Amino acid sequence: MSEVLQSLFVLGSTHHQAPLEVRERMALTPENAAALQQELHALDDIYECLVVNTCNRVEVYGLASAPTVEATVRDFLCARNGVSRELLDAHSSWHTNLDALQHAFEVSSGLDSQIVGETDILGQMKNAYADARAAKCTGIVLNRLFEKSFQAAKSARTQTGITRGQVSIGNVAVDLANRIFGHLRDSRVLLLGSGDVAEKTAQSLKSRGVADITVASRTYENSHTLAHSLGGAAIELSDFAAQLKRFDIVISSTAAPGLILDRDTLAAALKQRPDRPFFLIDVALPRDIDPTVNKLENVYLYNLDDLSNIANENLELRKAEIDRARIILKGYAWNLWLQLRRRTLMATRQEELGLES
Amino acid sequence: MLEEIVISAREALAIGASIYLSAFLFGIIALLIRKPYPRAAMFTLLIGGFLFQTLGLNLRGAEIKGCPLGNIFEISQFIAWSLVLLYFLIGPAFKLRLLGFFTAGLAGLLAGTALLIPNWDQPYPPGIFGGNPWIELHAALAIFSYAMFAIVALVSAMFLIQQHGLKNKQFKGLYQHLPSVQQLDLMARRLLITGVVVLSAALIFGAVFWINHPERVPIFKLTATCLVWAGYLTVIVLRIQKRLVTRRHAIASIALFIFALASLWPVQSARDTIATEVPEVPQTSE
Repeated sequence: MSEVLQSLFVLGSTHHQAPLEVRERMALTPENAAALQQELHALDDIYECLVVNTCNRVEVYGLASAPTVEATVRDFLCARNGVSRELLDAHSSWHTNLDALQHAFEVSSGLDSQIVGETDILGQMKNAYADARAAKCTGIVLNRLFEKSFQAAKSARTQTGITRGQVSIGNVAVDLANRIFGHLRDSRVLLLGSGDVAEKTAQSLKSRGVADITVASRTYENSHTLAHSLGGAAIELSDFAAQLKRFDIVISSTAAPGLILDRDTLAAALKQRPDRPFFLIDVALPRDIDPTVNKLENVYLYNLDDLSNIANENLELRKAEIDRARIILKGYAWNLWLQLRRRTLMATRQEELGLES
Repeated sequence: MLEEIVISAREALAIGASIYLSAFLFGIIALLIRKPYPRAAMFTLLIGGFLFQTLGLNLRGAEIKGCPLGNIFEISQFIAWSLVLLYFLIGPAFKLRLLGFFTAGLAGLLAGTALLIPNWDQPYPPGIFGGNPWIELHAALAIFSYAMFAIVALVSAMFLIQQHGLKNKQFKGLYQHLPSVQQLDLMARRLLITGVVVLSAALIFGAVFWINHPERVPIFKLTATCLVWAGYLTVIVLRIQKRLVTRRHAIASIALFIFALASLWPVQSARDTIATEVPEVPQTSE
């Protein structure tokens, strides 16, 4: 058991190591993430396993019999997302033991997020933990680690001001829309897909005066439900290109594997309204909109990285709070580490006594 | 009343230019420390500069007993004065952020440069307009249209800066205080149309004089003025046809204004040559 504790690990590829174009290749579908978790858990060398898969991170948390499993875990991840080992090795990190604990706590509290202090990640960690637990892929150590990380995240948030002054993607989008259109009451918004970030962004725009919102999603029912909640209309996803010229702001967050809005389609729409700007927000991963459209006259394209960079521009003001939160999390990580060590030592002692008797 | 003022025309104009430049400097400092400047302070400084410049132009007008538009120095001062006057007229209506800052910069640059180059303030014979009210109206309207084109150039420059910021994902500093690209584009279009209407009116009044005294209008001046007018008219037509929009429209507006300014000096030289060759025109009854 003492060996087991030595082999707590996290393999991750996040926005810290990988640019957007690499992250979209690393991204796993929910089915692939679940399958990877099962495959790793089925290995004899891995006792517990949990995969966190969000738009900004693919992370594998696990407890192994020996630290040598790193190569195995990397190979399995590459096999699932279809990237080369070289690419993964160049854009990933590997944490073990106390570092792994500290990392998990920082992820849960939003300190490791692209927009520092954001709260969505906690929900995503809770969902990943619930799924892994339901799939019986976690055990004593990962259960303890994740439950403790949720507590630690709560403490860090309540005891410090890491979320204060935090700028959301929606607010950044509204500010940018103001810089492009001035007032927003005449702007028409098209929502492609029904992703959470896109929905929140649309809500922010609506709260700042946008009155005309249209939703196009793969399933018409989803479009209709979201359109109803936003007080807008729904159209078929296949129709959006033909109607593109009617819109000023396009927010895209589909789960499509490739581009759904290319340069030619946009250029054709632009030709019919050359003096009106297009503001495109691509929060999908993999990206939905061809990045080269930003070179078109009167087109302003922003992806997840661009919006996050802007949102983090006031980070310096929150640096002291972030440092304070990190110290709190370190305390939690040390406590958990010592608890796990004590538990391991006791288990080892009991094993020895059992052998002696 | 003007005789009682102890300050000379040039001194009043120098104070006016200094105040414009101070206003511009004030704006730069505010932007450097990333705080929006108080609009009231910028407005007050511009009013101060404008009052001194008005005084200076009035004193100059009293000296020459006519509209002070006889040399490059006076034309530059008059364009700067008209630019600030236009800002007072349209600034509150459009509520464009930083327009006061850019207006102060361009007015300070025009008025300051004119003061620093002594050659621009060449003496000229009195009654250069021959006491003809039509030609004085032509000159005043033409210069006023140039001031409009100056504002269009400023708004276009602001548009290009904002567009550059948006395209390159810049969020801090100047970019966040500038108006939206759509507002700037709309304002440039409206002002350009107004400017061309005013310039057209100026040309019509000038044509009345030219028909009666063709020998008094140098061909270079006529060609340059018509080229400026045709250039702006072409931009408007292309804009209405949506063939010259946003960025290219802004670049064309700035380029045309530079051309219009650059054409003033040779136009003035040509007029000076004619003035020395042709005898003064008696006042007409037009």
